[in-house]
Amino acid sequence: MSKSLIIAEQSEIIRKGLVYIAEAIGIFRSVREVACSSALMDHIERYQPDVLIINPGMVSIENLENLKEQNKGDLKIAAVVYALFDDDLLNAFDDVIMVGDTRQKIQRKIHALLDKTPPRKASRPENTLSARELDVLKLLVKGLSNKEISDKLFISTHTVISHRKNITHKLNIKSVAGLTVYAILNEIISMEEVQ
Amino acid sequence: MQDLIISGKMKMADIINHDKRALVLMPRFGIELGFGDQTVKEICADKGIDTDFFILMVNVFLNPGYFPDRKLKNLDVDMLLLYLENSHKYYLEEKIPYLENLLEEFKNSVDHPVTGQLEKFFTQYIDEVKDHLAYEDHTAFPYVAALSEQIRKKQLDLSGIDYNIGVFEERHDNIEEKLSDLKSLLIKYFPTSNDRYIRIRLLNELMDFEEDLINHARIEDKVLIPIVAQLEQKIS
Ligand SMILES: [Fe+2]
Ligand SMILES: [Fe+2]
Repeated sequence: MSKSLIIAEQSEIIRKGLVYIAEAIGIFRSVREVACSSALMDHIERYQPDVLIINPGMVSIENLENLKEQNKGDLKIAAVVYALFDDDLLNAFDDVIMVGDTRQKIQRKIHALLDKTPPRKASRPENTLSARELDVLKLLVKGLSNKEISDKLFISTHTVISHRKNITHKLNIKSVAGLTVYAILNEIISMEEVQ
Repeated sequence: MQDLIISGKMKMADIINHDKRALVLMPRFGIELGFGDQTVKEICADKGIDTDFFILMVNVFLNPGYFPDRKLKNLDVDMLLLYLENSHKYYLEEKIPYLENLLEEFKNSVDHPVTGQLEKFFTQYIDEVKDHLAYEDHTAFPYVAALSEQIRKKQLDLSGIDYNIGVFEERHDNIEEKLSDLKSLLIKYFPTSNDRYIRIRLLNELMDFEEDLINHARIEDKVLIPIVAQLEQKIS
């Protein structure tokens, strides 16, 4: 029971819920609450918490970076999220707790924050297609099957399928007909080639 | 917007004001607008609609998480079929033609040869939707109607019917999925059109259609299929 935690969140029901869940872990000597951003910095300075769980709406990315700078990695900061935030902002946190997470999941995340190992950063999805994915896309919209594509590119059908998955994921387009329109719009393929 | 769980005592106008998606449900129950301050219960009594059924359908439609199986037991299958068929009618006679017109307008506003491909994509998609609806209207729903009639007449003889709801469950697919492709293309990838508003209008309508189809499918999957499965068990 040596660690200390600050929970910064405007909504009382969410704040109290987090306090309840965090206290149940039994590793925190103190769990403090902050309801508005004006008291936040003051609290952190005074109580030197090991973990801060905060609503990203209460802090700017500059403030967040300053905080981490000042505490040299001794302060772990998790976001508690129930709205849509910029990936850049969320990536600046050590972890993200969703309001819909189960108690077990939240407790696991808090535990992981206190572990020595640096937490895994959620990587920002890359939306541009790789050269290989472009090759697959070109053949795909010409009407070739997975098997034919694999023969042409000297890769396994398994690899073709995994490229297709990535393409769909990056572009948010599933069907071949939809991909065809995309490919023409981006001049990956000409109108004549798909006729 | 907060979720709305409706009850018989609520005023119909309040429900629609709170959640505009309730608006398209009115014709599916044969309810016309202009009902003043009447409550759900009063309007249902007026129109001969079972109030519990109305409440169940609206709640399932408006809330993805809402699903009280307790109420399914005494739900009138014929009423459910009518509701689903009315929804199909709305898609076929109102929504799809409107979408087709908007797409045509959009096509004319974009100066790019790819619009031909877009139209092809859309036409194929609409054909798939129509096939889906036709299968339900001509195969699945008539089976359910026949089953319900046998139960009403206490004939309980299924020997002439070579179908069961499991077949429907098996082949019932998501027709709204491809709409998300169209959405991505329109939001992210299409070149600027001459008329900036037509694209927004088209997107608005596509998203509305998508949501409607998702909710419709949920009623088929979570209400129709379980009820019919219960009826089948009763017979066998
Ligand atoms: Fe349907
Ligand atoms: Fe359906």
